Amino acid sequence: MAMTDYNMLLERLKAQFPGAIQGESEFRGETTLTVGADHLVPVCRFLRDDPDAQFNHLAFVTGVDYSALGREPRFAAVYQLYSLPYRRALRLKVPLAGENPTVPSVVDIWPGANWHEREAYDLMGIRFKGHPNLRRIMLPDEWVGHPLRKDYPLGGEPVAFTPTMDDPALEGLGTQVLDPVSVPPVRPPEAQPHTLVINMGPQHPSTHGVLRVVVELDGETIVNAWPDIGHLHSGIEKTAEYKTYAQVLPYTDRMDYVAAMTNNMGYVLAVEKLLGVEIPPRAQILRVIMCELQRLAAHLVWVGTHCLDLSGTIHALLQYAFATREDIMNIFEMVSGARLTPSYIRIGGVARDVPPGFVPAVKRFLETFPRWHRDIARMLDENPIWLSRVKGIGAITAEQAIGLGVTGPVLRSTGVAYDVRKYAPYSSYDLFDFDIPTGTNGDCYDRYLVRMEEMRQSVRIIQQAIAKLPEGPVQCDDRKIVFPPREELDSSMEALIHHFKLVTEGFHPPAGEVYAAVEAPKGEIGYYIVSDGGPKPYRLKIRGPSFSNLQAAGLMAKGHMFSDMVAIIGSIDITLGEVDR
Amino acid sequence: MDWIDTLLIPAIKAIVVTLGLLVGFAYMTLAERKICARFQLRYGPNQAGPFGIFQPIADALKAIFKEEVIPEHVDKWLYVLCPVLAMVPAILAFAVIPVGRPIVIAGHTITLQVADINVGLLYPMAVAGLGAYGIVLGGWSSNNNYSLLGALRTTAQIISYELPMALSLVSLVIVTGTLRMSGIVEYQAALPLIVLQPIGFLIYFICGLAETNRSPFDFPETENELISGYNTEYGGIKFALFFMAEYINMIVVSALVATLFLGGWQGPILPGWLWFFIKTAVMLFVFVWVRASLPRARYDKLMHFCWKFLTPLAVVNLLVTAAVVLILRG
Repeated sequence: MAMTDYNMLLERLKAQFPGAIQGESEFRGETTLTVGADHLVPVCRFLRDDPDAQFNHLAFVTGVDYSALGREPRFAAVYQLYSLPYRRALRLKVPLAGENPTVPSVVDIWPGANWHEREAYDLMGIRFKGHPNLRRIMLPDEWVGHPLRKDYPLGGEPVAFTPTMDDPALEGLGTQVLDPVSVPPVRPPEAQPHTLVINMGPQHPSTHGVLRVVVELDGETIVNAWPDIGHLHSGIEKTAEYKTYAQVLPYTDRMDYVAAMTNNMGYVLAVEKLLGVEIPPRAQILRVIMCELQRLAAHLVWVGTHCLDLSGTIHALLQYAFATREDIMNIFEMVSGARLTPSYIRIGGVARDVPPGFVPAVKRFLETFPRWHRDIARMLDENPIWLSRVKGIGAITAEQAIGLGVTGPVLRSTGVAYDVRKYAPYSSYDLFDFDIPTGTNGDCYDRYLVRMEEMRQSVRIIQQAIAKLPEGPVQCDDRKIVFPPREELDSSMEALIHHFKLVTEGFHPPAGEVYAAVEAPKGEIGYYIVSDGGPKPYRLKIRGPSFSNLQAAGLMAKGHMFSDMVAIIGSIDITLGEVDR
Repeated sequence: MDWIDTLLIPAIKAIVVTLGLLVGFAYMTLAERKICARFQLRYGPNQAGPFGIFQPIADALKAIFKEEVIPEHVDKWLYVLCPVLAMVPAILAFAVIPVGRPIVIAGHTITLQVADINVGLLYPMAVAGLGAYGIVLGGWSSNNNYSLLGALRTTAQIISYELPMALSLVSLVIVTGTLRMSGIVEYQAALPLIVLQPIGFLIYFICGLAETNRSPFDFPETENELISGYNTEYGGIKFALFFMAEYINMIVVSALVATLFLGGWQGPILPGWLWFFIKTAVMLFVFVWVRASLPRARYDKLMHFCWKFLTPLAVVNLLVTAAVVLILRG
């Protein structure tokens, strides 16, 4: 849709809700509308339902605390919207005054706002009026304060996690526990009296980390399932505010540690968008190769662990998947020196050019991979027990999935072909010829099929990329952003100064705010950066795909058997490091 | 010298069989770990002694010397009793299986079988049915939701597989005309029964997987859903007893398959006991092979499968067998 239509839409919005739009700004091609809190719900409803708008995908809700800039009003709630039919983004900002601001909840419009609003309440202290269940999501219930606020004390410990020996609970410490004491179970208030409530996790073999799911069972049929997250919350967003832009990068590796390259990619794209730099073509193609190899690696981990959930620890497929992934890990080690957390994709390009052995290694891998892929597919596709465990299990419709903000293979399995690589191509993905596989039923089996086909498409992309890989530099030549080459340091005083400035201080991007998203193996991973012009991000919000996708688990599980719960959790493909961040 | 035949020899045989099964269990765990490791592109235990042959001993010592933890909320008597309840029937079931041709020592003919009773075929089924009590009550007495679900699944499982299993054995009895184990083995001197009863063999083997709670029918345990199911609250030697019961059941079922369908100790050239051992080992390998390559079914699907497919199939097999036998014998 042309820009004029877009402007007409905004004009119509202003005409329909006079006084609602308090401001409009444009930065790096992103539109931000400032909306008054009183008008938020009708404006959102208009934006979702109007046939010319159809902003049906809510990427995230978060809050920004402007107090360190001395700005009034202190807070702002931020809503990142995306219109799947028109392929365009829009950001809403609601300025909120006061120490304990309140804003109307949009859960009725986008059900996926539920967890995002809880997170904004938990970490930023913004209250959402009309939210069905506004309680802390990441931090313990007894936590004091909201850590993402700028005036939150650093280094203190409001809730004592360091036990002291005077604590009566620790009397038996160091002695043998001969009388294990049983704790009476706590039933969730929503549970019906005749049901059995099972606490699945946080220590459970099949929750893929420290996820806790409270499951209400009638016999073995699931009546309700409430995922409970936050056990792995590590405060990356807060940490990022105290690191320079370059220093934040390694933290992104550690969120979705199964797909570190794509995490790097999203962050780097957001910072580069903020800086407005161009990346040389060789670096772009290298990034594509890395991201697609990472997708293969992540999907291999997924197929192995999913099968492990549905069979048992002895099932051999996990090791076949990991043996295949090993080749990819070796390639990553070759280019970056690290296997799991490479931090290879850097702001301004990639860390260093690939060694001469890289292209042959990738080609060798591409030759062997289809055989592994076929073996794995045959082991499952032709197995009636496998089919009976995944077909028709955990199905959701396209409307439900979009409403919940679900992205990635889980969304595509419902038939919606939303893939950031096609919808908003980045890093020259538009040069490649590949298909976006979709399913029809949105059940565990379709998710499996979509991911298996995605692996084939990734192989296609890598093949084309290897053929296209141009010669040339792998970093942009802006000395304010990337280090000068080592040789220059010996001869050029200017290069030495740049190097010194970059190491001690970092670079200063212009003030503004950007959102950049990439298609990670699990879905849309996005980074929203607010810059105040300083060398450190003023606010970094990470939109993790697993976080949004996991919200759908409760809906998927209803009415299925307890055994299917592990199939559903497995088929969503979560990494708790990225859910909790 | 009557007491030698009636007391001494059976007592020695019983002791030998019990010890043999315990050693068999220990080395079955090692064999399974080794075989699974090869399936999974690994090596398996190889540090304790050459090829890891001391691993089972190390495991046993560890289990025995572990601190005994009895959670506060369990039903103590049942909780302690259940591992034994599971273990004893598993060993008992082996009593009727002939492991070789009878031998003669000092004028005494010794059958290599603890008891050759005339309802030999019914006996292991009856005893194995008792083994389920250990699991059901163990899960119940643990007073833990996961264990309870595991225990309930056992009851669902037992009523699913016992019927087709029994029906498949009835067709076997029609063919051989005897319930006595030694008689069934002698009948197979020329031709193993798997040739005459291929469908019966398959039904019996599938039900055997379910009876021993082995993958893909390991519902009472299901470590991926129920943590460890009925034995979640058990540790140390009590857990080891449950574990032992599972493996000895596996050996018994393999030995039964070898005896009933593969000709028992009958075979050319090699001595009888070796044939029996080889056939049992092959079946045990199949148990592990299945575990390494099949996903786990869902327990309601097993019930559907048993009631809607296996039971009718077993009935058809029974009727066809009966008709053919009737026609052939005039």
